[in-house]
Amino acid sequence: MKITKKTLVTIVIIAIVLFAGAYFLGVKLRPYSYHGRTIQSTDPPGDFTLITHDGQRMHLSDYEGKWVILYYGYTFCPDVCPTTMMQLGRMMPLLGKKAKNVQVFMISVDPERDTPERMKEYVTYFHPDFIGLVGTPEEVADAATPFGIYYKKKEVEGASGYLMDHTASVTILDPQGRVRLIWPYGVTAEEMAEDMKHLMR
Amino acid sequence: MIDAENVSPTPLKKETPDIEEIEERQLLPSFGGLRLLYVVYAALGLLLLATAAFIIFQPIQVLPRERLSPGFIFTNQDGETLNSEYFRGKLTLYNFTYTRCQPPDCEQLDDLMKDVQDRLDETEVYDIPVEFVTITFDPEYDTPEVLKAHAEALGADTSNWNFFTSDDPAQTKRVIGTGFQVYYNERGPGDFEFIPTLILVDGWGIVRGIYNDRVYPTDSDRILSHFNVVAKEATFSKGANSIGYEAAHLFCCYAD
Repeated sequence: MKITKKTLVTIVIIAIVLFAGAYFLGVKLRPYSYHGRTIQSTDPPGDFTLITHDGQRMHLSDYEGKWVILYYGYTFCPDVCPTTMMQLGRMMPLLGKKAKNVQVFMISVDPERDTPERMKEYVTYFHPDFIGLVGTPEEVADAATPFGIYYKKKEVEGASGYLMDHTASVTILDPQGRVRLIWPYGVTAEEMAEDMKHLMR
Repeated sequence: MIDAENVSPTPLKKETPDIEEIEERQLLPSFGGLRLLYVVYAALGLLLLATAAFIIFQPIQVLPRERLSPGFIFTNQDGETLNSEYFRGKLTLYNFTYTRCQPPDCEQLDDLMKDVQDRLDETEVYDIPVEFVTITFDPEYDTPEVLKAHAEALGADTSNWNFFTSDDPAQTKRVIGTGFQVYYNERGPGDFEFIPTLILVDGWGIVRGIYNDRVYPTDSDRILSHFNVVAKEATFSKGANSIGYEAAHLFCCYAD
């Protein structure tokens, strides 16, 4: 039996198409498991307004069209906040070009001590594009409560200052302002980048 | 004669293809190329059928992850302070009312909560702790003492049922109104209009069920079965099983 050139070409083309199709299907169907909890929220938790570390009044809704990452903490925070902020800072370069569509905010739950200047110094240490937000106690509560964030001042015996007890999770909003994902404390930068890339596909 | 000969050649040529073409037609199937294509079509068809069957028969049912439940800090009937983090990893059923609301003049869901608490052992929750919370939107009148008396009158088991009040009215409004999105309005002193609502929140602090006559009707059978649905997902949605659960969310295979 003679295999003609035409036959061979047809077979090769079919094989390539099949492999490409199988690969594409495999990649598409491969179940992805996030390092946090996803939510199919249809309605955004609502707008809030705070002051940026440059002294500008902002509204959360100003950032629609971007993926917004919210972290609630305070600059005197001894361990949990710097760890999470460092992971977020390391996540940014891992996102490559997609990083420009992501805005990370750190919202201070310690309005008494966190001034805009202090917040600026703190958040930009982790990444130059991060924005620190401050507000009155009422404004901060309006920005935290609907996002499931609890915080409370905790007096510490012997120490001159006080600590803030607060929810340590990270909240990710899609460009429509809907909550899409929550990371618990302890997710690494690599895991964050992986999740973000998957969300932003 | 000449005309007839001129017309016939074309159809004739089609009926007798050259040897190469014959070989090609026979070769392709024998090499499995075309058959492989059928296999792919069959596989895709099966996948489509399987998806359709999943959607129609719903082997896995879930409850939607509606939205985040709010963060809060409240004082309970014993004067203890509890915050929203206390309820992480537990199933919590929330109720919003005020103690001066007495049926039948004022409709509220205390008795339904009590019924659910009493019948809790009828549902399987896979050892996930269950909590009940009643938050008053009349904190000035409903002090911890008033709430304690109310709980006792109701016969509530306060080991897993907290009655919450707050000394910060702004927080109460923020948590119930903005956070849980439950409407209430003070018509006059000690007189509120509100939509009686129960809300089921999972261990991640995500709202999974809203029970008023607008979303899910209020009946304890449904709520008890929903406890089971959420607890089952929390317990079994791991590894390969999580694919099925995520598919159930994707295709909105929601429990009644």
